[in-house]
Amino acid sequence: MNKLGVRLVGTVTNALVMLFSLSAIFPLIWMGYTSLKTNKEFSLNIVNLPTKPVLDNYVSAFDVGDLSSALFSSSFNAVISVPLIVLFSFVIGYFFSRFNFRGKPLLMAVLMLGMLIPVHSLLVPLFVQLNTLGMLDHRLTLLLPYIAINLPLTSFLFLSFIRDIPAEIEEAAYIDGSTFDRTLFTVVFPVCMPMIATATILNVLHTWNEMPFALILNKSAELFTLPVWLTFFSSQYSTDYTGKIAGLVITSLPTVILYLFFSQKIMNGMTAGAVKG
Amino acid sequence: MSSTVFKLKLGQVLRYLVPVYAVYGFAVLLPLCIAFIYSFYNDAGSTFVGVQQYVKLVQDSNFWISFKNNMVVVVICVIGQVGIAFVIATLLQTKFLKMRALHRVAIFLPVVLAPVVTGYLWSLIYNYRFGILNWFLGVLGKEPALWLDSPGTVIYAVSIPLVWQYVGLYLIIFLAGMQNISSDIHDAVEIDGASWIQKTIHVTLPLLKGVMQVALLLCVSGTMKTFDHIFVMTGGGPGTNSMVMAQYAYDNAFVMSRLGYASTISIGMIVLSTIVVSLVVKLTGGGLRNE
Repeated sequence: MNKLGVRLVGTVTNALVMLFSLSAIFPLIWMGYTSLKTNKEFSLNIVNLPTKPVLDNYVSAFDVGDLSSALFSSSFNAVISVPLIVLFSFVIGYFFSRFNFRGKPLLMAVLMLGMLIPVHSLLVPLFVQLNTLGMLDHRLTLLLPYIAINLPLTSFLFLSFIRDIPAEIEEAAYIDGSTFDRTLFTVVFPVCMPMIATATILNVLHTWNEMPFALILNKSAELFTLPVWLTFFSSQYSTDYTGKIAGLVITSLPTVILYLFFSQKIMNGMTAGAVKG
Repeated sequence: MSSTVFKLKLGQVLRYLVPVYAVYGFAVLLPLCIAFIYSFYNDAGSTFVGVQQYVKLVQDSNFWISFKNNMVVVVICVIGQVGIAFVIATLLQTKFLKMRALHRVAIFLPVVLAPVVTGYLWSLIYNYRFGILNWFLGVLGKEPALWLDSPGTVIYAVSIPLVWQYVGLYLIIFLAGMQNISSDIHDAVEIDGASWIQKTIHVTLPLLKGVMQVALLLCVSGTMKTFDHIFVMTGGGPGTNSMVMAQYAYDNAFVMSRLGYASTISIGMIVLSTIVVSLVVKLTGGGLRNE
């Protein structure tokens, strides 16, 4: 190929990939500025930038749609369940990477099962189960399912992380007379900080974004999480397009901010299982 | 490693493993058992009916339509997510491409969105009167299209948001895998004058075989459980044209109040997903690496 040809191929390739990247972020940018338009302006032209940006959609989302209680519910679920997911997964990861015991293959297989089955196959039976036990429609209802669903993947992340930590650090602690519990939490836990951070961020994303379980297990409006609130808002105010878009922005903003601050951690966490075997 | 330090004691099991597995058992294992038991009961869940519900399931054309739609979505996502991600990842490795970090960050961004948000965002993009796509068609002087309401093509329309959202995940998986390929290999190949296509087919692809297998497995098993996007965009409609198994189980349980039959569908879903995923493992040659 001559010089000109090479440059032409380069330019075309750059343009194509740029177009692809733009198609990935343009809908989000559009969502951002459209949320600042009134419905009237939106219906006149859907693509233009707002001539006079207004916060009306956000104000009415808090007034009409009771967004604040959805924000609280989503935050509550994340704040309570994520530390427990991380703690439990740390424990499982530690026991599976350090100990060999009878029943370990079974316990690991059972955990693996939770990753292999389609998670939505649990929707119906979990509803039946919690209904029978009278545990539906409560502030705490979603916590146990959220912990259990996210446990397998996070545990295997910890398992492979702890396996690479030399066991000598615990042996040294034991020689110094440290108890098992103390060693676990004051020696091993701090060493796992990078994985703890990754696991925390990943699970905040998972619990924040979860919809089907929240939709089915809680029916009271004050318990709606943001994704469920969105489904109700859009069925009740189906013509309020810009209001819905404002709701989408509010739901996405925390995750996008997390991503902008911790993109490397999120990417590492999501590729860890796939690339490092 | 001293054997006495790492010997499991009863107290440790009781204090740590038992509580953790109790939670897991309560919210994952017990429901699985309940689904299995309920799948032998009638719709109200009151009378044992044996395999009657399974007979019904096997003969239920709507269930098989859902399964077929699941498979269509899987094929589109394998091509769209894994395929496009692989091509872009190899391009990002060439010296041609500028602003590589920007591309990576931009293409990955949708991965962190809630599936519900993606669903609503794309129903707006597809909207007949206020959608970006029909606006664009208007600019080109074409008639607006019924994206989510045309029975023949709706299944493709609902698959595109899935590709859009998750292509970035596979992109960074491939990029991470490519980092493990020594740059000496690339240099050597380039000195030998290999083109991008030659390099990709004969060097990158064989070296990324393991990563490719995992990517395919993640993509197929992840796509088999598609629910949120379709629930939000079409609810399985029009008719059953975009119905997938999870949506069908949901409709049976919570719209038609057939809890027994919905449990049978859930078990059917688990069985079919397992078969499809094992098939992928088999076809891509060998299982997941053992640790």
